[in-house]
Amino acid sequence: MAKREIAANAPGQLTSTIHDHRVAWLTALAIAIHVAESALPSPLPGLKPGLANIVTIAVLMVYGWQTAAWVSLLRVIVGSILIGTFLTPTFALSLCGAIASIFVLGLLSRLPGAGCGPIGYSLAAALAHMAGQFYSAYILFIPHEALFGLLPPLMTLAAAFGVLNGLLVHTMLTHLSKTTHDGQH
Amino acid sequence: MMRRADYGVVLLAIGVLIAVYGTYWRPQQAGTTARISVGRNDVLDVSLKRDQRLPIHGPLGTSVIEVHDGKVRFIDSPCRGKQCIHAGWLQHDGDFAACLPNGISITVGGSRRSYDSINF
Repeated sequence: MAKREIAANAPGQLTSTIHDHRVAWLTALAIAIHVAESALPSPLPGLKPGLANIVTIAVLMVYGWQTAAWVSLLRVIVGSILIGTFLTPTFALSLCGAIASIFVLGLLSRLPGAGCGPIGYSLAAALAHMAGQFYSAYILFIPHEALFGLLPPLMTLAAAFGVLNGLLVHTMLTHLSKTTHDGQH
Repeated sequence: MMRRADYGVVLLAIGVLIAVYGTYWRPQQAGTTARISVGRNDVLDVSLKRDQRLPIHGPLGTSVIEVHDGKVRFIDSPCRGKQCIHAGWLQHDGDFAACLPNGISITVGGSRRSYDSINF
């Protein structure tokens, strides 16, 4: 009996907090979108609407940057395991893009004042994601100047998808605040 | 829906896009000189400003290169395929044509290489 009590109170014991559960649920949602989106055909390598980022932006708006960073990075890792691209070049690019966008979101959310709305966050994150992904592709896989010819159209499409996702986040948060009464946002 | 910081991000994004297009999708520059190479070592730089016809001697015979109106082309070559002549006028920086059988090539500008390799 004494032994079991000691084991239960050992400092190494893992306990999960409400925060952990929240991250897990939101990540699961983002992963579901990520996996569903991977079935969509893409005309250009590296080009996706990035619908899973809707979850990242919404989490950033509601729960703050730290939770958003967790959700985004866990989504990239677990999503790639489910799709089967874990530790492949695709995964490396995806991870670099996610880190770049999380970094930019961190800067923006620390701006003095009220911060951005969903459209600003989403647009900035999309461009940072594309830029991070593109430069890591250039450095790691295709170190050829000709690759930069692809950058203008890719950045344009990233901006378009960023604004679109931002609008979706705005709509989603508006609906959420109508249906919930917890006053969290 | 749009906060002040959002407009800042939008302006910044437009700036980034303009910069990216300006840097990587510049219109092609018209070349001002052409470098004619024969074999590995013989190099002749000509200005595209002066119209002229140049007979260039290669291993097979004489190829004729014409400079006209800021452009340059092969107009005759003693090869079989005449790929060099079909390459037509060259005028942009980095444009390139070659008569491989006669060992003669033309590169416009020369400051910027547009190609890694070319297949015929």
